[in-house]
Amino acid sequence: MNKIRAWINDRLGVAELSKFGMKKDVPLHSHTIWYYTGSSILLFMGIQVVTGVMLAFYYNPTIKDANASVARIMTEIPLGWIIRSIHSWSATCMIAVVIIHLLSIAFTKAYRAPREATWMTGVLLLAASLAFGFTGYLLPWDDLSLAATKVGTDIPKSIPVVGAWVTSLLRGGEDVTGDTISRFFIVHVCVLPLAIFAILGIHLFLVQRHGMSVPLKAGRGPEKNDALPFWPNFILRESAVWLILFGVLVTAAIFLAPSLGPAANLMAPAPAGIKPEWYFLFMFQTLKLFPSRILGLNGELVAVAVMGAGFLLVLLLPLLDDRPAERKGRVIRYAVYATFLYTIALTIWSLL
Amino acid sequence: MKLKYSLFSRREFLNGLLGGGLLAFFATLMGPVVRFVFPPYKEPDEVKLPAADYSGLQPHEAKGFAWGAKPGILKKAGDGSLVAFVAVCSHLDCNVSYLPNDRKFYCACHQGWYDENGKNIAGPPPSPLRRLAVTVEGDSLVIKKQG
Repeated sequence: MNKIRAWINDRLGVAELSKFGMKKDVPLHSHTIWYYTGSSILLFMGIQVVTGVMLAFYYNPTIKDANASVARIMTEIPLGWIIRSIHSWSATCMIAVVIIHLLSIAFTKAYRAPREATWMTGVLLLAASLAFGFTGYLLPWDDLSLAATKVGTDIPKSIPVVGAWVTSLLRGGEDVTGDTISRFFIVHVCVLPLAIFAILGIHLFLVQRHGMSVPLKAGRGPEKNDALPFWPNFILRESAVWLILFGVLVTAAIFLAPSLGPAANLMAPAPAGIKPEWYFLFMFQTLKLFPSRILGLNGELVAVAVMGAGFLLVLLLPLLDDRPAERKGRVIRYAVYATFLYTIALTIWSLL
Repeated sequence: MKLKYSLFSRREFLNGLLGGGLLAFFATLMGPVVRFVFPPYKEPDEVKLPAADYSGLQPHEAKGFAWGAKPGILKKAGDGSLVAFVAVCSHLDCNVSYLPNDRKFYCACHQGWYDENGKNIAGPPPSPLRRLAVTVEGDSLVIKKQG
């Protein structure tokens, strides 16, 4: 047995990895709870990969069969309805936890040097997660998903010079058609997974390279040097968190399965009361608020510019707040609170 | 010949030549890739509809037709003439509906309103609905791009 182990180790160098796992520890302080958010995202991501592959066994990305194949999954395939429901709920949970993860890092200022690149790859992972949500929303091909995709892919059109080009790239033509379904499908199941795994690889490498960030306040307390071994102590607690989250997920999936409307009709008017997924609601409400002309400019263009600038500010936050890690940054903290409140307020408003 | 001063060494120059050459090679491959991902699109020059299908329209009533992949709406105006619109909102591309009782076009996505002539009157739409020209040729209605 030992011989086999030594043979494998000579070839793969597993011992170094397991030594790293044994040595790694997690700082223990009043904010330790936020460290669980990262691994919770991985849990939901794993569920998405498995259920996504399962759904793709039966899904047909064509204008004729897309809706019918989802209906078949929901009604004929054994346990199909719950697999789709878990995929849909796990997507929601994943994006929710990604947002919580990002907020915890913004509030504890863990993005400061030397972790700027970790933050930026994290923001890209959020963008990729939203892109997953957006492309996945079209695939069932019902009224709602058609209208949401028409709006979403039309937004770039207001950008001067390249806008129409971007819209046509996203749609695979002038309009949302069957070509859009195949395009969204391959992006959803191939392009985005490749991208998210590549970025996630860099993100996780950077997390290991720089170690876990300890918030200022926590570091100054009496508990300064406390740490929890990653294996087995942290993993044990993490497993408990995973089991609870999995339980919540399956419960939600069973009792609140997503609906499926009749197949989308390209000629039908948009259904009343369309709303995007909850994580796009604040953008949806912002677009509604902007009048058609602002200071002689196209209102839509102004809205797109404001939201684009907002994304850039979030992405480049570590470069804006580049104070030494010991100092507090009040302005940034209030800005983060203000953005957070704005997003929550507009989301609630759009639901009223 | 050996230069006395140089901005970069011979090694750096050769590295740049190789790296830049590879980069340029892959960049040229992007041309066909970009061309491939944009399918050709041509808006219909005209659409012919059987006039009989639309003969029952009362003034201020409307009926849909297909303008390529977009919906169109054919409406009988108050004076009995026929007008046609591309039934797509000028705001964010949602399909609009015609509400005969209100004599207005309505976009449900972001609550945009147009009057019966397709003029944007409320909500976010920045411009009127696109109009199409309608002519009667024998027993068919011919819808064409305007202007």
